[in-house]
Amino acid sequence: MKILIADDEALSRRLLEKTLERAGYEVITVENGKLAFEELCKPGGPRLALLDWVMPELDGPGVCRAVRVRSEQTYVYMVLLTSKGTKEETVLGLESGADDYLTKPFNAEELRARLRVGERILLLEDRLVEARENMRFRATHDQLTSLLNRGAVMDLLTRELHRSHREQKSTAIILGDVDHFKRVNDTLGHLVGDEVLMEIANRLLGAVRSYDFVGRYGGEEFLVVLNSCDPAFAPSRAEEIRLAISHRPIQTAKGPLGLTMSAGLLLSSEWGIKSLEELLHQVDNALYQAKSAGRDCLRIARPAVRAEPAPAPMPQSVRLRH
Amino acid sequence: MNKEGQVRTEQVWNLAELLDRVDNDQDLLRDLLNIFKEDFPRTMRSLESAVVVADLKNASRLSHTLKGMLSSLGGTRAAAAAAKLEVLASAGETASLKGALDALGHEAECLLPELNAYMAEVRR
Repeated sequence: MKILIADDEALSRRLLEKTLERAGYEVITVENGKLAFEELCKPGGPRLALLDWVMPELDGPGVCRAVRVRSEQTYVYMVLLTSKGTKEETVLGLESGADDYLTKPFNAEELRARLRVGERILLLEDRLVEARENMRFRATHDQLTSLLNRGAVMDLLTRELHRSHREQKSTAIILGDVDHFKRVNDTLGHLVGDEVLMEIANRLLGAVRSYDFVGRYGGEEFLVVLNSCDPAFAPSRAEEIRLAISHRPIQTAKGPLGLTMSAGLLLSSEWGIKSLEELLHQVDNALYQAKSAGRDCLRIARPAVRAEPAPAPMPQSVRLRH
Repeated sequence: MNKEGQVRTEQVWNLAELLDRVDNDQDLLRDLLNIFKEDFPRTMRSLESAVVVADLKNASRLSHTLKGMLSSLGGTRAAAAAAKLEVLASAGETASLKGALDALGHEAECLLPELNAYMAEVRR
């Protein structure tokens, strides 16, 4: 584990360095508080620090305060080294953000023991961060496919639509639905159905760029968002993504399955400022048209050019999609 | 015995404590003594200059540095003298600084021969 020693006094620095190297630490030494702060701010920098109280540029408590002001960075466990021993000074040191303090001249065994406390605290922090990240992942991702869930992909789409409008670019929204998926579940069972959905998720992810989004929109419906997508190429890109499902059979526990996907495509630049609900409604209509046209095809949602209003679409609840 | 008397009974150089601190690592001990021999006279000279011009801030900072250096090395009495000087400088006791500096110089004069003797011995 990396540890930072900040001490302006060479003798003390060398003594600490050797003591901690012997204890198995990867030691970084600096001679003033400003350099200490810079080291602690580096990505992958030390998370354990021994800081002398009195240092040029920035003193130990100053380093602690500066480090604690940063947000969204991993916790640094800081021990102040001091020959100051009054209660007031101890309080001041701890109030500055230090986790512990040690009086100079230090006892090697005590120093090592206190650093082990620091390591335990950091381990605990790692576990908490990991648990928080797991919870965040579970809240935003589909449990079966690990794709973004409906809520998360819609949040990202909302942000992306604002951005593309601001930058006068186009976002392509593809809503895909696996054809005859119900038959898979009914004839081969839900476990095979799950295998199919996982493989489709993998293929969709493999077919898009790292900065595009893929989410599970519903049971066998997937929403793909192509950020900053040139409208001239969007239909061919959507078709490539759609064909990623059918170009080879999906291997399942009950043998290979040839499956296809129908899809609707919408280009945000063609629709101007519209609500997310309106755009999703339109791309859903395009998907419905693809299904009506015999499935395994792509249809594009285009704004009506006629003066008279287009007929109201059939309510989603009464549509049958297989 | 008064407090001053107690201080005088302390060792000039607590070698046992230092050996314990360095885990009996003779190479490290030699390193530390070399650093001390280089840094101590220089810091001491700066401190003397600060005391002469009554630069309290620097006198306090430099005596603090010397206190750390001396205590890390087990120079208990000299470290105590440096600590006293630091307190006086921090408190603005300009009139007492020269006397405290002389006391520190005296303790250093007692300590340095012991360090030199040890270094000569380990070189053999």
